[in-house]
Amino acid sequence: MKRKTGLVIPLAAMLIVSSACSRDESKQEPGKETNKPSSNVNESGMPIVKEPVTLQFMTGRFSGNATDYNDVLIWKKYEEMTNVHINWGLVPFEGLTEKRNLALASGSYPEVFYTARLSNSDLNKYGSQGVILPLNDLIDKHMPNLKALLDQYPSIKKGLTFPDGKIYSAPTIYSPDFQLVLSNERPWIRKDWLAKLGMDMPKTTDDFYNYLKAVQSTDLNGNGKADEIPYSDPYKLSGLVNWLKGSYNIGNRGGQHQFVDVDPKSNELRFFPIDNNYKEMLQYINKLYAEKLIMQDVFSVDRGKFKSLGDAIGSAVDPDPVAEFGPSGENFAPAPVLVGPHGDHQWVYQVSPLAGMGGFSITDKAKDPAVAARWMDYFYSDEGAKLFFMGVEGVTFHQTADGPKLMDIITNNPGGLSLAEARKPYLTWGGGGYPGFVKQGYFGTDAKLPKLSEKLLEPDLAKDIWPAFTFTVDEEKRMSALAADIEKYVSEARDSFITGKTPFSEWDKYISTIKGMGLDEYMKIQKKAYDRFAAAK
Amino acid sequence: MQTDKALSVVRAPSRLNKLGKRFVKNWQLYMFLLPALTYFIIFHYIPMYGVQIAFKDFFATKGIWGSPWVGFEHFTRFFKSYYFWRLLKNTLIINVYQLLLFPLPILLALSINEVKNGAFKKWSQTLTYAPHFISTVVIVGMLVAFLDPNTGLINNIIGALGGEPVQFMQSPGWFRHIYVWSGVWQHLGWGSIIYLAALAGVNPELYGVAKVDGATRLQCIRHISLPAILPTIVILLILDLGHFMSVGFEKVLLMQNTLNAATSDVIQTFVYQSGLLNGQYSYAAAIGLFDSVVNVILIVVMNQVARATSENSLW
Repeated sequence: MKRKTGLVIPLAAMLIVSSACSRDESKQEPGKETNKPSSNVNESGMPIVKEPVTLQFMTGRFSGNATDYNDVLIWKKYEEMTNVHINWGLVPFEGLTEKRNLALASGSYPEVFYTARLSNSDLNKYGSQGVILPLNDLIDKHMPNLKALLDQYPSIKKGLTFPDGKIYSAPTIYSPDFQLVLSNERPWIRKDWLAKLGMDMPKTTDDFYNYLKAVQSTDLNGNGKADEIPYSDPYKLSGLVNWLKGSYNIGNRGGQHQFVDVDPKSNELRFFPIDNNYKEMLQYINKLYAEKLIMQDVFSVDRGKFKSLGDAIGSAVDPDPVAEFGPSGENFAPAPVLVGPHGDHQWVYQVSPLAGMGGFSITDKAKDPAVAARWMDYFYSDEGAKLFFMGVEGVTFHQTADGPKLMDIITNNPGGLSLAEARKPYLTWGGGGYPGFVKQGYFGTDAKLPKLSEKLLEPDLAKDIWPAFTFTVDEEKRMSALAADIEKYVSEARDSFITGKTPFSEWDKYISTIKGMGLDEYMKIQKKAYDRFAAAK
Repeated sequence: MQTDKALSVVRAPSRLNKLGKRFVKNWQLYMFLLPALTYFIIFHYIPMYGVQIAFKDFFATKGIWGSPWVGFEHFTRFFKSYYFWRLLKNTLIINVYQLLLFPLPILLALSINEVKNGAFKKWSQTLTYAPHFISTVVIVGMLVAFLDPNTGLINNIIGALGGEPVQFMQSPGWFRHIYVWSGVWQHLGWGSIIYLAALAGVNPELYGVAKVDGATRLQCIRHISLPAILPTIVILLILDLGHFMSVGFEKVLLMQNTLNAATSDVIQTFVYQSGLLNGQYSYAAAIGLFDSVVNVILIVVMNQVARATSENSLW
């Protein structure tokens, strides 16, 4: 899902150099907590401050959102409520990582990182260096809503806490009973094509193969050309891999753990990309690829191209075909978890309710951290979630007997705008990564197909989904070196095996290469993190 | 008067003394040099102090000076890395490949120079320069479009001739050729400009005399044109070597995917990934520094070779 951008690099390189020399090297004690709120701050209730203040943010922006958040309905409304003006510092997601790292390295970072996708490793690194403030005290004193949630879900609190006992961010929490958002990408198959072929919805990996084969050999769209694409996804094939993992019983701890899981036989932590089941899965996908049942250039296709293929695709993994392809997406029906050759079937492509930790962090530049903390906390309340996801009552939503509902101006726009276009002037949750609490009833989605899919996948849901692990600073340092090599190698080898560039006769060499890269140490560190996580549960 | 006084401080007439005298005499000329000098000091020398983070563990809060020293730790890590040899190999091969095509602009310049029809000459020059001004992103976009396995022009031709479509962008075998030859296409005309300028300086009488002596066109090129531009060729070659190792970074990055990484992973994209994306600034700085050291060694060696084999050299 990573996008590459080349434009900003030379400029960025210049910036890092020039700003590095102009950097004011004032020293800050690591872990210093400056949370004595000034007299301007109200302890509770709105407005947050008596006299208006301005906070400097850096905010990751999804390309479908407004280009100035201060023109967006909910933020205008929230500024009125709080007396806090935000300088958003919007950065498109595509160039966010570079921009954020440059800001941090050069010392010209903002008071608050918002939707800025800080990784756990970043939080740990800059937290221990004192750039990012620990929130423990702020949560206790100024964030009653978040505190209540963390008390309600102790496992989320444990996942959020670093080994040194500090919490460095306000997280994205998905309500554990809200399956619709816990799995975002889902498998789809063309039901009209199934009907034309006289086939049932595939149940096993073999059925799926037969379906793909039939799509390939039949002129289903009736244009006289064999241009049907049996399978494609916009994630460079990661969609298919994550769908099939459950059929081979690997990756069973969810989408935030792409390399380790628990071996169902021994109940031990396992590095599954060297497991035999993983090999079998790759062999299966390799068979599909070799017989051209998978779009051949799937590894270099971006979302725009994928979208344009719409009608020619026979099956895909995607959040919602209707949102992706428009009305013709209605032809897709949700596909189930396929039963693998050993009878395994699980849906593992989910995230843990602690969906993200990098949504909101306060830095040591914040003049009054309590203001930022109180500003954020509101969105963990029901009222705040309603504002964030649904907007303002009477403008974008209205109360009905079944709870709040988005109004026609968004869901059935009179100007014919799509949902994403229509919400642009009012809401900013598109693109994800926002901090806050997502729960059923407020999250304004009426998407029909994902709901069907949710129901279908429900019996197969993997039960034990982990959030990303947290490491100590020393572990992190070793880990970043080891992971850089190992995880890069595994990803490249995966695609190379799938496309047949590396024959499976080299599987043993693949394993010994990974071992030679320090897999034992990598696993030792993962194990430590896992033990801490397991003990905390 | 003043200058005499200043000079008398230095006892023996030294080189410094002479330089001082010359400076005073030609100060206007030196003033012209000043802006360029300032530029280099500010943008190329002062930032060098940041290079020290390659030997440190850079902490954002402690700044460049305050971060602790770790010696050669980052270098050791890089040399021991699984990817070290692959990166070095890929970087070198792409560069050597590019270098081997160094004579192409010279050939173009020589042939344009031979064209006598003025209008045609201008047209062909313009046509060959034009691609130089297209941005890298657009070039890569064009490559992707032309080489697309389903809808791309090249694959359509291959298909029409009865061949199987080729996955150009996903194939490690094709990466180098696509990278280098699209670069040739883009910069060929531009690269020939300097040679054309040098050729324009050749005294036309030489050609006239040669013709009287019965020289053929090829002989004219061989004995008049080529020797005339030889100094330019050598200098440009050495300058090119100065950029050795620094492949067109954005273009590689834009063309890269996990499948062609076996040949497209070069030192600079690795620096970008580990430095800017993963935030390992010190490690990235160490790799970048290694890259530069290789570069300096190459250019010094090449300069020695050039000086030994011909009379031209950079210094």
